[in-house]
Amino acid sequence: MSIVPKETIEVIAQSIGITNLLPEAALMLAPDVEYRVREIMQEAIKCMRHSKRTTLTAADVDGALNLRNVEPIYGFASGGPFRFRKAIGHRDLFYTDDREVEFKDVIEAPLPKAPLDTEIVCHWLAIEGVQPAIPENAPLEVIRAPAENKIHEQKDGPLIDVRLPVKHVLSRELQLYFQKIAELTMSKSNPALFKEALVSLASDSGLHPLVPYFTNFIADEVSRGLNDFQLLFNLMHIVRSLLQNPHIHIEPYLHQLMPSVVTCLVSRKLGNRFADNHWELRDFTATLVALICKRYGNVYITLQSRLTKTLVNALLDPKKALTQHYGAIQGLAALGHNVVRLLILSNLEPYLRLLEPELDAEKQKNQMKNYEAWRVYGALLHAAGLCIHDRLKIFPPLPSPSPNFLHKGKGKIINTEPHKRKLSIDSSENRSPQKRLITTDGPDGLQSQEHTSPAPMQVDDTMGNDNLPQNSVQPSSSEQASDANESKSRNVKAIEGGKGRAITMKAILGQIWKDDLDSGRLLVKLHELYGERILPFIPSTEMSIFL
Amino acid sequence: MDPELVDEFVRGYLKKKGFNSSAKAFEEDLHHNNGSSFSSIDYHNDPELTKLIRSFSQSKDDPTQYRECYSKLRSWAYNSLDLYKHELLRVMYPVFIHCYMDLVGKGHTQEARAFFNSFRKDHEMIHLRDLQKLEGVLAPSHLEEMEFACSLRQSKVNIKICQYSYDLLLQYLHRTESTLMLGIINEHINFQVYSGQPNSASDDIEAVTIVGSFQDKANHINQKEIQWGLLEDSLEDRLEKTGLLSDSEKGQGESKDGDMDDSKKRASEIGKQGSSLKKLKKDKAGNATAKVVRQETSTVSPAPRVKSELALPVMSTEVEQSILEDLRNRVQLSSVAMPSVSFYTFVNTHNGLNCASISHDGSLVASGFSDSSIKVWDMAKIGQAGSCALQGENDTNDQIVGTNGRRSYTLLLGHSGPVYSATFSPPGDFLLSSSADTTIRLWSTKLNANLVCYKGHNYPVWDVQFSPFGHYFASCSHDRTARIWSMDRIQPLRIMAGHLSDVDCVQWHPNCNYIATGSSDKTVRLWDVQTGECVRIFIGHRSMVLSLAMSPDGRYMASGDEDGTIMMWDLSTARCITPLMGHNSCVWSLAYSGEGSLLASGSADCTVKLWDVTSSTKLTKAEEKNGNSNRLRSLRTFPTKSTPVHALRFSRRNLLFAAGALSKPAS
Repeated sequence: MSIVPKETIEVIAQSIGITNLLPEAALMLAPDVEYRVREIMQEAIKCMRHSKRTTLTAADVDGALNLRNVEPIYGFASGGPFRFRKAIGHRDLFYTDDREVEFKDVIEAPLPKAPLDTEIVCHWLAIEGVQPAIPENAPLEVIRAPAENKIHEQKDGPLIDVRLPVKHVLSRELQLYFQKIAELTMSKSNPALFKEALVSLASDSGLHPLVPYFTNFIADEVSRGLNDFQLLFNLMHIVRSLLQNPHIHIEPYLHQLMPSVVTCLVSRKLGNRFADNHWELRDFTATLVALICKRYGNVYITLQSRLTKTLVNALLDPKKALTQHYGAIQGLAALGHNVVRLLILSNLEPYLRLLEPELDAEKQKNQMKNYEAWRVYGALLHAAGLCIHDRLKIFPPLPSPSPNFLHKGKGKIINTEPHKRKLSIDSSENRSPQKRLITTDGPDGLQSQEHTSPAPMQVDDTMGNDNLPQNSVQPSSSEQASDANESKSRNVKAIEGGKGRAITMKAILGQIWKDDLDSGRLLVKLHELYGERILPFIPSTEMSIFL
Repeated sequence: MDPELVDEFVRGYLKKKGFNSSAKAFEEDLHHNNGSSFSSIDYHNDPELTKLIRSFSQSKDDPTQYRECYSKLRSWAYNSLDLYKHELLRVMYPVFIHCYMDLVGKGHTQEARAFFNSFRKDHEMIHLRDLQKLEGVLAPSHLEEMEFACSLRQSKVNIKICQYSYDLLLQYLHRTESTLMLGIINEHINFQVYSGQPNSASDDIEAVTIVGSFQDKANHINQKEIQWGLLEDSLEDRLEKTGLLSDSEKGQGESKDGDMDDSKKRASEIGKQGSSLKKLKKDKAGNATAKVVRQETSTVSPAPRVKSELALPVMSTEVEQSILEDLRNRVQLSSVAMPSVSFYTFVNTHNGLNCASISHDGSLVASGFSDSSIKVWDMAKIGQAGSCALQGENDTNDQIVGTNGRRSYTLLLGHSGPVYSATFSPPGDFLLSSSADTTIRLWSTKLNANLVCYKGHNYPVWDVQFSPFGHYFASCSHDRTARIWSMDRIQPLRIMAGHLSDVDCVQWHPNCNYIATGSSDKTVRLWDVQTGECVRIFIGHRSMVLSLAMSPDGRYMASGDEDGTIMMWDLSTARCITPLMGHNSCVWSLAYSGEGSLLASGSADCTVKLWDVTSSTKLTKAEEKNGNSNRLRSLRTFPTKSTPVHALRFSRRNLLFAAGALSKPAS
């Protein structure tokens, strides 16, 4: 009914000491209260208009109350319009921010500055219809959002209240903390203590005021200390710790941080001694970059695209050093398989051609260069391999719903080991169409047959290639191997059922056909380029397809 | 129809209407001739009558009926023929508000609110402000208390409607037997039926505002004759003559008389005037090739001359000479020759600046503050003559440094409430200020002291304006009156009453015989100073009128409102020539250039806009043909730096002065 609920009336009545207000009376009063409030507001708006303002102040309401012969409300100083805060969780609920003030603080506070006296300043708004481009005038051709007016303080000294830059006050403890961390980072003498410091950085709350100082510190030191490997490594560790800290809100400082991080990834030279394992630093930084992209990529959409652009530029520039190429590859690889597929694999062939002379120990006499080239080659292989591994892993589960559906009768078996079951069924299913593909597609088929032959040598190859990070690949491949063993035994059973299903499966397979084809082609291409070295990345079940 | 049912209806009707005694009598009557009723023969067989009886006996108190009937009527109107739809829809608004007020009046607050909320969307576009006012009406007592509601209840709304639409409406109402709607329409709407095709939807400004009984009265009032011409023997005249003849005294009387007769004739036949003016101009242009001054003035439309009805003060010869000098040096402005604008920015006002006023020569600036103080700056003293403002700025620096610790302005204290308005007398020797303390004070700018305190208004005085010749001044107030005063009397000479709400602004006609007032009731009125009568009502604004300006030839008036709309009015016909749209916030100030070709407007949206008004007045005849093509005649927009423009003034030499307080951007 009225926008003033009767509960409000009851509360007001209680607050002025009327306890026996009848609910009916409250109900009757509510509409009248609304009417009176509207009336007062109407008058207050008139007062506001005549004061040539567009915001309502407490003085206007007092003026309106005066007009109605009502005692004004005391205690609201008319220092400009009120600031209202929105109550969280309520749509239309606002309150004034009423802070508690200690008497002691008020008494001890120094006298405030006397307000500046009103002044008048004269300027030409227009001369014969043309606005002169002077600072007093709003910038031309711009629909001006009321901006801070800075002319007057230049001209006449502090005529208007100038908002000074905010002084950032750091507590003594934080200052000490920052100094200590900075010292530790620079000295590199006490690795154990530095580790402790990193843990503290990654977990302590209340460090947020220091974030701008740290970002500054990192940016400064990275640009200054490119020759100091240990320092760079320490700095990157600090970055990681800061990223890990859940109490720190690092987003506003990312733009300052990113250049330093990317520098550590793709700089020509990191550290000046031969012993410095800058490869490790690059790998570590690559994971950092990926972490940042993963966390903030969806908030700052341009973040990843800008980063990849920088990296691809570094990679595709033949003038850049191999170390830089390595960093770029690692960075891209850390960003995920899609990035690798789109950006590295598409450029793989020409790049490898470029790299070839460097790889050959005969042609490239400089051992250092040769080593670097092999490093780059390894990184490329790793990236491409992980990508194809991922790709091949995607497609087997695709037709899974239909076998599930068809196997309802055998539901129990499927439920106990659904994954393995699926895998086995799929592999058995996939075999026949894949074979058909081989027979129909002339050149493709030939090549795939070609590369299926060295499969038995798989184990030796993995051992031989020392560049590969064995740890990451090994568990998956062993799993696959055991899988394969199981699947073989099951295959026999599955094939029986498979015959009947073959016709229905055809339709579904048709859909994923293209995907398979793409992956197959990719695989073929990679094999062409890498030879057997790619094989450890290919899951053995998939390998069995080509057998 | 069953006779017993009829009896039941009759009983119900009597009871409802409060005829308790007759209901009793009726009951007894029934008992007496139980069953053997003879009177029931004729009306039992008449279906029309039974329907009517039924509709009467249905409890009219039923609040749901309003909603039902209204929504039926609404859907019918919306589904009606396109050609007649807008006319029928126009009927909906009065029906809507009266339905609502009926519901409120009968105490069905809840239903009233529900009804209001469900249909307010239909009318929000045009009647938003009225709806906001009405929304608060929740009890029968409010209806009586609120003037707006009262005036709506008491008066009928005039709606022009074509014959066919009218027939459609009546047919519908009869067919559906919605006596409720019929009742409301009969009670509150006065149809002016005309034959022929319905008007196009765009040109009915009158349909926009429902201002109680105004419309009739306004039409009646607007029939009165006014003489909008300039004063005879004005300085401009003299300038013209001195340009022609070196000794202006010779034969002045004769030529003047002839001129006057001629002009009066012209005034009476305004319709022809446009064409005759053109001819006149052509003639002049043809004749006066050699006479430079004459040619210049000939571009100003020669307005008819009238006699002053007030005893005007005598101007000293020095003042006269300086004014003549100014007029001689006036820059001719047009849509191609734009004025220069000098802007006075108030800084450190701490949100307290309520008004600003600039003297006619731009040398004095007065400002009224909400802390009751008035501050006057003498710009010439500061070293910034308006003509060399840029150079002057460096001087100010020195000045301010030099006079450090001393105020650069004159502080006038005397009021005991926020100062809402200030105005300089034409020579700049007096200053008038009005305040919330209900008084008007006269200050001397030479003595820097308060001379007189004029008490008369009962509520805050919103605006005060000196007449173009000084001595007299007009004020307006929250008490809904405007008053005319002279400097030498502490009582008002005239009280103009008639506005339905606060009178917010006042402006003198150049010939001093009229004043115009703008009000919160969204109308502008023109009053005869001598008789104190209202001679024109201008209806068309959709919100509170905040500023007024009169064209120098006395023929047109501009008014600016809260929404940022400026309307140009023809005083003789009381019609809006064209609305000037462009501002998006309150128009605080309006000013015509010296020869009336440009209109400047200053607004809360931090811009000064220049409008070409010559084209707008010229195109009036062509307006019917191309309705919207000439609506926008904004020439220039000068944005300021977050400074709402409070005051504007064209100096006699056509330099535009503007003033405003720098407001800090909302953070």
